[in-house]
Amino acid sequence: MDFEQNENQTAILGGLEQLIAGLQVEAPKEGVLVAFSTRLDAELEASGFLDIAREAEFTLLDSALVVERLARLPVSAEVAFSALVGPLFPTDTVQRPFALVTANPLSPARFLTVARTLLVDKGDELLVIDVDPSQVEEVESLFAYPYGKLASLEGMAVRRMGADLATGVRRRWRLALAVEGSGLMQSAIDTVIEHVTNRYQFNRPLGSFQAIQHRLATAAGTQQSARWLALRAAWSDSEADCALAASYLQDSIPTIVYDLHQFCGAMGLTLEFPLHFWTYRLKAMLGDLGGSSAQARAAAIATWQDAA
Amino acid sequence: MEFGWSDDQSAYRQRVKDVLADNLPEDWEERAVHGPGSTPVTKFSFEFCKTLAAQNLLIPHWPVEYGGSATQPWNHFILGEEAWQVGEPRGPQYMNVNWIGPVLMRYATAEQQARYLPPITNGNVIWCQGFSEPSAGSDLASLRTKAEKVEGGYVVNGAKVWTSFATHADQCFLLARSGSGKEGIMILLVDMKSAGIQVKQIPALIGEGDIHEFFLTDVFVPEQNCLGAEGQAWEIISYALQNERIGIARYAFARRVLDGVIEELKADGRFDDPVIQDRAGRVLAKVEAARMMVYRVVDERAKEQPASAYGSLARYILVQADHAVADFVLEFMPSGMLGGDPLQQAHHQRALYSGIGAGAAEIQLNLAARRYLGLPSENTRGL
Repeated sequence: MDFEQNENQTAILGGLEQLIAGLQVEAPKEGVLVAFSTRLDAELEASGFLDIAREAEFTLLDSALVVERLARLPVSAEVAFSALVGPLFPTDTVQRPFALVTANPLSPARFLTVARTLLVDKGDELLVIDVDPSQVEEVESLFAYPYGKLASLEGMAVRRMGADLATGVRRRWRLALAVEGSGLMQSAIDTVIEHVTNRYQFNRPLGSFQAIQHRLATAAGTQQSARWLALRAAWSDSEADCALAASYLQDSIPTIVYDLHQFCGAMGLTLEFPLHFWTYRLKAMLGDLGGSSAQARAAAIATWQDAA
Repeated sequence: MEFGWSDDQSAYRQRVKDVLADNLPEDWEERAVHGPGSTPVTKFSFEFCKTLAAQNLLIPHWPVEYGGSATQPWNHFILGEEAWQVGEPRGPQYMNVNWIGPVLMRYATAEQQARYLPPITNGNVIWCQGFSEPSAGSDLASLRTKAEKVEGGYVVNGAKVWTSFATHADQCFLLARSGSGKEGIMILLVDMKSAGIQVKQIPALIGEGDIHEFFLTDVFVPEQNCLGAEGQAWEIISYALQNERIGIARYAFARRVLDGVIEELKADGRFDDPVIQDRAGRVLAKVEAARMMVYRVVDERAKEQPASAYGSLARYILVQADHAVADFVLEFMPSGMLGGDPLQQAHHQRALYSGIGAGAAEIQLNLAARRYLGLPSENTRGL
């Protein structure tokens, strides 16, 4: 049991910090709903950070730490699926970026506007679709991710894979949710702490009021819980741990997002304030994989169904 | 990062399990329902702690010079997990080994250590903590019990309340006031058989032996029983409470009860109900979250890092988990609370207390807000 980064992890995250610093990643100055960085996405792919889990000397947990760190940026790239789901496939059999949907391949999916592969979880099988960009329609939404949907499957290669791979993808999707979500929560909390420390009302900083302190401390406890559950899931890669971590994350999103916006008042409703770059990505995750109840039931079944 | 147990730790856990299995009486679960401070559990603790001591399992984490084995802190926590999971057969003595002893090792004089530590290491003494007062609960620093300096010691007058284990206690870790402010607080190690001490148990929802009030009327305490230097008491109290906050592996007992209820639901054919699966999964997530938060604090200690406000954060999550399990049981298997399962009732009573004792959950949020998040003080003014 060791909660500190090992040498490999420190080296990986150090290298990642250098890449981030070199790209000078920052929140868009203009008010936008969606902040996706094509440049960040390309640099991450080229630098190999998204393939860490494929390397013998590294682990899925190392890759999860990369996902968590990148989630804390105000701009998104297709990271979590590539880094955590992608390694389930043999090298060069699928191309990133990925988009994932449940059941219906024509459903709106985040990252589909840039994706080269769409994975469709149909329960007992997995569809692997090589995306034809000409069939992708952009979908406008409040969510801070780019969204698209396929107009049809016409002309696209669709591979049908078995239940084992479908189960594996679902497990790693849960892991991706949990890891990325905990990183998003951390940056959202940091943003709000800065706001309530500097914003004065009634001659006091907002953050000096106990009503706000208690809810922010609760949010911090929730975020840390989500983080350790997610990292444990990355370490074990078990059905139960991944479902449990995703369940906890999704279960926590409504309260945390509500509170964080509440504490920023009207400022938190504006696009010039960066909070939505994290909270609206969290909102997008709420409905993934059937929502928190589906993950909770999956965790319960994985934990107890087969127990004697 | 590594979230598994080493071979040594797994072997240690198995050894603890074996000792528990070999030494708990057949009717243990019926006894355990009464709580760590109850008469049957307290009496059994003398027998059981001696057994643990004989097997170097009572104070394994203590330094060798104090009779311990200097085993890694994780082993002590594994021992606590297993013990709490079965209803804490160490009774009130868990407190001795968790924080009374470590505080004495850190702050007591050699003479005090020679007097107070051997009974702990032999499993032969019950301590209570005289902290809260009728007008000083969460606001501990407002305590009023007065210690007046006299020749050779102090004369103490006052009242303490909500004190666990006081009926059976031999010694009390008592806070009293000899001056004003936090600097005026002092710690006295008081023999509970001293003339002038009256103990009264308060009937409570949380079982027998956990809540008392006691009154001190002209109690003489020799000056050699004063712990720490003048003005050092608050530092010592803070250190003690840091150990106390997550010292009990509440999630372990909660998980055991949850697992047990699920087995009953399965036996009744109810586990296939998706509503029950949903609720059980969410509660399980809270319990495992609490486990990981507490492990994070233990890891901090294992690396001998200074205690941080992370313990307050972990404690709050722990309280939520304990209540989530208790509420799940009430909703889906209430028969356990009606005589069907003594452990469920015992857990319910412990859960009720978990957010109150050793600093209320809301106090933990105050501490986390200020010391972990760095939020401004309520006294900050400007602009």
